[in-house]
Amino acid sequence: MKYLPLILRNVTRNKIRSIFTGSSIAVSLFLVVMLYSFLSVQDANNEASKVHNRIIAMNVQGLTGDVPIAYVDRIRKIEGVRYAVPYSWYGGMYKDDKITFGQFGTDANSIMNVLEEYKLAPEQLAAWKADKTGCVVGSILARNKGWKLGDKVPLKGDIYPVNLEFTVRGIYEGSSSTDREMLWFHFSYLDDSLKEINAPTAGNAGIVMLNAESADIMPDLMKKIDSTFASSDAPVRAMTEKQFQQSFMEMMGNVRGFIRYTSIAVVVALLCVAANTMAMALRERTREIALFKAIGFPQSTILGLFLSEAVAIGLLGGVFGALGAKLLFEVVDFSKWVPGLGWLYVPWSTALAGVALATAIGLVSGIYPAWRAANVSVVEGLRKIV
Amino acid sequence: MIPIKYNLRSLMARKIGSLMTIFGTGMVVWASIFAFGLYGGLEKTFNTSVSPLDVLILRQGSTSETASAVTEAAAREIMTFPGIATDDQGNVLAAPELVVISYISKRDGSGNANITVRGVLPNSRLLRDNFKIVAGDDFRPGVREAIVSRALSDRFQGLRIGEEFIVQDKPFKVVGYFESGGGTSESEVWTDQRVLAQVANRTGATSSVQLRAVSKDAQQQLIDRITADEQVALKAVTEEQYYSDLAEQSFFIKMIGQIIAFFLTLGAMFAVANTMYGAIASRAREIGTLRALGFGRFSILAAFLLESLVLCVLGALLGCAGALLLGEIRTGTMGGSFTEVVFSFNFGPDVLFKGALLAVVMGLIGGFAPALRAVRMKVVDALREV
Amino acid sequence: MSDNHAESIVALLNVSKGFMRDKLEIPVLTNTTLHIPKGDFVAVMGPSGSGKSTLLNLCAGLDRPTTGKVIVNGQDLGELSEARLSKWRSENLGFIFQMYNLMPVLSAQENVELPLMLTPLSRAERRKHAEASLRIVGLSDRADHYPRQLSGGQEQRVAIARALANDPVLLLADEPTGNLDATSAQEVLDLLESLNEQFGVTIIMVTHDPKAARRAKRLLHLEKGSFVQADIEALETSLRGVAR
Repeated sequence: MKYLPLILRNVTRNKIRSIFTGSSIAVSLFLVVMLYSFLSVQDANNEASKVHNRIIAMNVQGLTGDVPIAYVDRIRKIEGVRYAVPYSWYGGMYKDDKITFGQFGTDANSIMNVLEEYKLAPEQLAAWKADKTGCVVGSILARNKGWKLGDKVPLKGDIYPVNLEFTVRGIYEGSSSTDREMLWFHFSYLDDSLKEINAPTAGNAGIVMLNAESADIMPDLMKKIDSTFASSDAPVRAMTEKQFQQSFMEMMGNVRGFIRYTSIAVVVALLCVAANTMAMALRERTREIALFKAIGFPQSTILGLFLSEAVAIGLLGGVFGALGAKLLFEVVDFSKWVPGLGWLYVPWSTALAGVALATAIGLVSGIYPAWRAANVSVVEGLRKIV
Repeated sequence: MIPIKYNLRSLMARKIGSLMTIFGTGMVVWASIFAFGLYGGLEKTFNTSVSPLDVLILRQGSTSETASAVTEAAAREIMTFPGIATDDQGNVLAAPELVVISYISKRDGSGNANITVRGVLPNSRLLRDNFKIVAGDDFRPGVREAIVSRALSDRFQGLRIGEEFIVQDKPFKVVGYFESGGGTSESEVWTDQRVLAQVANRTGATSSVQLRAVSKDAQQQLIDRITADEQVALKAVTEEQYYSDLAEQSFFIKMIGQIIAFFLTLGAMFAVANTMYGAIASRAREIGTLRALGFGRFSILAAFLLESLVLCVLGALLGCAGALLLGEIRTGTMGGSFTEVVFSFNFGPDVLFKGALLAVVMGLIGGFAPALRAVRMKVVDALREV
Repeated sequence: MSDNHAESIVALLNVSKGFMRDKLEIPVLTNTTLHIPKGDFVAVMGPSGSGKSTLLNLCAGLDRPTTGKVIVNGQDLGELSEARLSKWRSENLGFIFQMYNLMPVLSAQENVELPLMLTPLSRAERRKHAEASLRIVGLSDRADHYPRQLSGGQEQRVAIARALANDPVLLLADEPTGNLDATSAQEVLDLLESLNEQFGVTIIMVTHDPKAARRAKRLLHLEKGSFVQADIEALETSLRGVAR
């Protein structure tokens, strides 16, 4: 520790270089932390959904297959099921938006008991139940679209040949990792509208979402649901909410893989950058290092000094990049520009992993230059001018 | 002007530093090309699907074929409209088509995806330029046989020649592979329309009508006429419009690519600046001498900018070579309306050029501050530097 | 010394120059007037900080006087912009440094060609000029060697060839023998002497070395920013006295 002042002096002696190397690491780490947060928050949300013991039942043909609405009641009666609701993706378009957001036709009586991590004021829930065309929206969605209680939300049907107009009756809240960009409405509103025009797609619950009484009974419960409808016209497959979300990610393709490849490339590039910096520092100080050795500093100390300097620069970049990413996501709401990204934040674990990664980059990049420094020949080093 | 060999040889003299920088920028260019290539591939797939005179007719309010319906009567009427092209044999270049989704497992076991199964008529083939059977046979009408693209067959279970896949409980046998110039058709399974309609219980209506107009004017007239008829509640869009809307739904992929490229380029700029600062600091006396010999400030600026540019362009070449070495990467993602689009990364000249352009930006901006420092050195002091 | 500076290749008229150090102006040259006629070979001696290097820098237009005029080859350097000065230097001056200052990445031939890059000469002409210059310094056989493959004396001769390449009217040498052993120093001085005698190149040479100074036609002694006319013999004895 007595060498700490010397290490810091070395880091700050060529300020521009240290700042630039640090910045290079910081900017790149910022990116990596951001990309990885995407992965880790997704995983975390999947894990978190376990505690709610939720099961999704969908047609064996996938999301586009039918689940007759009568199944909801039948499932609700199966032993071990607490609540069950239809959860039908409407997919309407709001105004001139090119991209839709989550709109689900469901059951106002039970949805807050199934999605129990979301909070809705009791009087708002009551107002929603009382209004057939009422809807409840997430707080982020409401903020981004500028909706207040009582506002009309007209949506053009895309998947369904009916347009629906909703009235905002409630705004739900949730913790930072929850999806607050959804809109829930009465399934019956959509279904009745479809029946009016005799659409063949009427009566489809989309999927059935339910929660089990306990985690232990879930495997049996899923089997029971599968077998109940196995020989019907519309057999269903029950899966945990986690499996359901994974199947969604699978449809996105190998995005996770691509994020990983990119991150690896970034790390390799940073290793080069940092190693180059240390090599420059070494070249500049050859004479000085020779002097240190002439005075009697052992090789190990010189090695340590150089490595510490590299680590310090890496750490600096990591702290700014990773913690900067964390801070930015706390302060700025990106869902404004990227609808559907409201759930994204940088978890501490990912931010700290970023700092650790930067430190490791510093360490690894310093090894060769430090080894060279430790082996500088005193005689030649002292003679060397340039 | 200062001869370029001075800069080139100076780069060679600092082999390790230069190589590190080239390698670092190379990785950054590579990662950016990778990110651009992903979206570029998707976009290219959509673009090559477009024939400029083609029109797609869908249910009003529907943005994709999956959720669209056009009654048989309406389709028949549309096909009699004037302005539709015919081929040499007098066949009308128009076809109602039926799209059904099948939920099929991937070969690598990474889950399932929604595959578009398209029920076609003989005329459908005429509407796809470059359509041809490349292996096996075409499907026979009236039986449950299908043809697929080779790319799709490699990615999904049951889609190779001789294998079977399921649509609504019924097995279909794959009898041949087709190609259609790389468009979205190559993400589809084709089968006989009547057979598919029966199996999927979708008789009486198709999903869309595709047609080719004789001219741009005729195309517009057809679109106007179909859109104006409120009775049938259909909409007509050019194929160009349809696919550019689909591409827009994948904007997330595009944005991630741009974010990656932006941050990496910024990070690399710092690294390049660092290298150049180092180069200039250690060559202060040389710069002073050049000035004393009569080389003007501009010559010095140009020379060092050029040096930085050379570093980055070499990095770009490395990055491009790296990308080309990857060869053809096939992948797939959810391309609008939750159905799978299979495509290859696009490492075409335009994407490589974009990557190289980033390198030029890195070189010029990253090299500018250091070059400016070289220019602003006081000759008298620079000559005194050791 | 003539008072008519039209005949002088270098004329310093009432030149003063000072440097700012910690907010104090330290005068280096004070109200100095100096004429150096065409064809002269002047050695400038004086203790460290007496203003020798400043004198050279002023003559080269690398530095500007605080007051007074510097006229070289009929051109008032104060009238030229930075850019014009660079061009002017490339056409009129040759430089020789104590540390040679050859570009390490360029061969001898390429180093000599360097100043010719600033002229409209074609590639072939540049080559010819460079070859001629190298012949004058006797290093034709080393044209393709790089600086690190040359001895110190050879490096300095290449530097002289570079200084000659553009046919300068004035050669400025800053301690040209300061880094050389006795034999090499002899060779370099022989060369400078013959350039002055055979080609009539005007040379101003700053040096610490009395042996080098003796080769010059004239010795200027700088003392605290002013010139003292000095006799070499006397100087030498005095220096020796100091040494003992």
